Amino acid sequence: MAGDLAAFEQVVRQHQQSVWRFLRRFLGDAVAAEDVTQETFLRVHRRLPSYRFRSSFTAWVFQIARNAGIDELRARARRDRLPPALATASGGTPTTTGRTGEARVEIDAALATLPVDLREALLLVEVLGLRYTEAASVLSVPVGTVKSRMFRARLRLAAWARAGENEGGGEDAGEAAARTGRARGRGEAGDEV
Amino acid sequence: MRCDDALVAVSSRADGELSPADGDVLETHLAGCDDCRRFVDDVAWVRSSLRVEPVGRAPDVGPAVVALVRAEPPRRRGRVVVAAAVAAVAGLVAGATYVGIGSEGRSPAAADVPARVLAAQDGITAVDGRYTVSEPQGGGERTFEADLTYRAPESLALRVQETTAGAAPAERSDGALVVDADRWWHDATRECSAAAGLRCPAEPLRWSRSVTGREPFSDDAPVPLELVSPVDGFALSARPPGLGRRTIAGHEALGVSVTAAQVAGLLDGLSAAVELRPVHPTDRVELWLDEDHFVPLALLVRAAGDPERAAWASSVAVDDVPGDVVLRVNATDVRINDPSDPVAAPAAGADEAVDAGFRAAPDGDPVVSEVPEPQRVPAGFAAYRRGVVSTPGGPGVGVRSWSDGRAWFAVRATARWPGGRLFGDLGTDVRPVDLGAAGTGYTSGDGQQVALHTGGLDVVVRGSLPPGDVRDIAADLGIVGQPVPDDWAEATSARESDATATLPGLLTAGPIDGFGPPAFRVAGPGDDVSVTEARSGPGDRAFTLTQWRSASLVPPTGGDEVGTEVRGTTGRYSPQRGELEWVESGLAVSLRSDTLSLTDLLDVARRLKPA
Repeated sequence: MAGDLAAFEQVVRQHQQSVWRFLRRFLGDAVAAEDVTQETFLRVHRRLPSYRFRSSFTAWVFQIARNAGIDELRARARRDRLPPALATASGGTPTTTGRTGEARVEIDAALATLPVDLREALLLVEVLGLRYTEAASVLSVPVGTVKSRMFRARLRLAAWARAGENEGGGEDAGEAAARTGRARGRGEAGDEV
Repeated sequence: MRCDDALVAVSSRADGELSPADGDVLETHLAGCDDCRRFVDDVAWVRSSLRVEPVGRAPDVGPAVVALVRAEPPRRRGRVVVAAAVAAVAGLVAGATYVGIGSEGRSPAAADVPARVLAAQDGITAVDGRYTVSEPQGGGERTFEADLTYRAPESLALRVQETTAGAAPAERSDGALVVDADRWWHDATRECSAAAGLRCPAEPLRWSRSVTGREPFSDDAPVPLELVSPVDGFALSARPPGLGRRTIAGHEALGVSVTAAQVAGLLDGLSAAVELRPVHPTDRVELWLDEDHFVPLALLVRAAGDPERAAWASSVAVDDVPGDVVLRVNATDVRINDPSDPVAAPAAGADEAVDAGFRAAPDGDPVVSEVPEPQRVPAGFAAYRRGVVSTPGGPGVGVRSWSDGRAWFAVRATARWPGGRLFGDLGTDVRPVDLGAAGTGYTSGDGQQVALHTGGLDVVVRGSLPPGDVRDIAADLGIVGQPVPDDWAEATSARESDATATLPGLLTAGPIDGFGPPAFRVAGPGDDVSVTEARSGPGDRAFTLTQWRSASLVPPTGGDEVGTEVRGTTGRYSPQRGELEWVESGLAVSLRSDTLSLTDLLDVARRLKPA
């Protein structure tokens, strides 16, 4: 009896936590993350008939979540009439309700300065605990690319934190990362494999 | 090692992606390099910052998604794949042909249990039960006490309290689910979402949700009626092996061995009130039912032993040894049809309130008046709730329902169905069914829903009754069903020549004595196209033959699959789904029937010829 919808709701229950956690960090906005989580599962449902076990189901769901997240960033950029990179950075204002520790606000602001490709790789591995091979399958890139993106994402976040420590945190993190010798030099050295 | 490489290695090591040998080289480098050592701390800072989550849990988008899906524009539904997805969870690898291993052993004593479960439900009017629930884990054990109060047809309270030895009151997770016809109320402890080892609030997170405007027997805010009697689990023709008899809480009980998938509704019912550990659909379940009323009295779930299951276990972070008991439920006191207190009404106030959109309405209401009634209601059944459901963006739907004890059926109808696919939620295993004078109907794979399409009205009958009874009611509504238009998802309008052109080498069954001509359906885009041939024969006998391009079968999902020889190759058969599958000449073939035995299906398979 409506078994497919009941089963589907179970699928949603099983995966929504991870999808939301990923999107919350990816979009830097808990409210938008909820909308996009919902959109993700609508897309999952729409595409279920074509899911053929070519990849793991979880990876497939994250792939859809990530694409939905990117669509949201694009829509946001259009809404703000700003170039995507700027819109992304300015969209990083934390809007979560509830108790928010300072560290969290800080990491969200730092994340907003990361390019999308670095951010998504970092979140898949750090927040969702995916293996490099799994993240590679979600992102449709070689495993080596995940490895280098992880490294570059961490380097930039570290540089951002350093810049904050040293200069009172008022500075644009992207610039700080670019000026930090280690970030620039090593970041480029560890580029795509 | 240069610093460039060392920094990349630090990052990879943090993710467990560095070989031990490279780890040794890295350690040597770090011992003499302050800069790189500093990066180790940076990586740890990033990790701890990212993994500390805000207090509270992800919003539950399930009900919203389900409501939107219902209201969505036409499209094919993927029942089989959804079921598969539930089983899949993570880590399944394509490219191999999986053949499940199992036993087809049957015990005559238990052979008729499914039919008896379905037959007994109308005799259940009240259940008052107390149960102990335990989850052995890592040498210890989480324990709970559950209280169930049920009053037919759909009022139920389930209250669960954690009684784990040594657990402080603040660590206990308790929960309650109360359903009172059109109201539904839920209160449960939610888990903290911070990753292992990080901070969680000292108090458990509690969340309550109340639903009003609940449609009769709605699946969206479910009443765990399966706790009262596992009707859905036995609606299909599976005949479980018997385990004999014993006495539980003063009741004579009959035991059957089933899969967790089969009692999923029952397990879900329990976890509606308190978060239990996950079990895999293939896990074996010993289920003990009251011999007269088939009310569940005890349940023992054991971890299954296949490799898929092991992969799943690691993905959900449980550590089970095959054969281990993972969940145990035992009745300590059960009274059947001896009601004391009524179901306590839901307490006022909830963190979240949802209106599911159903409004009771009198018979004269224009939308309710559209709902056809069966001319002869089955003996014992009385009219129950009726009214109108409105969903945002969806058509207004009239609903009438009838019940007798725990047994029920409902007729939903709308004159404003936008079309594109059948009204109702029948899944993909839909096949046309001949309703005699009532024309053509469409039945879901489990036979518990029958839809009719007419020029002005779309109707669906659903119920907890055996498939034959649901069909009889659908045929008795005084309306004549028509085949759905060609552009609807369930249309079987493709010609044989279209079908064979779509999939060269397509196998077809040809004429079979007593069976009508084939109805073909071509569905799905490009590479994922599938062709289904549906055939109906005498009585209930019917099958569907579905083929698509694939070099392998999808992993088994029921856990009851057995390997079998078919057309000179190794295929597999699921008694629960009544599905025989194999791969032939680049096509994956699924031959499925709820009414034909394996022998019959093999007979049909032998007749198949490339068109």
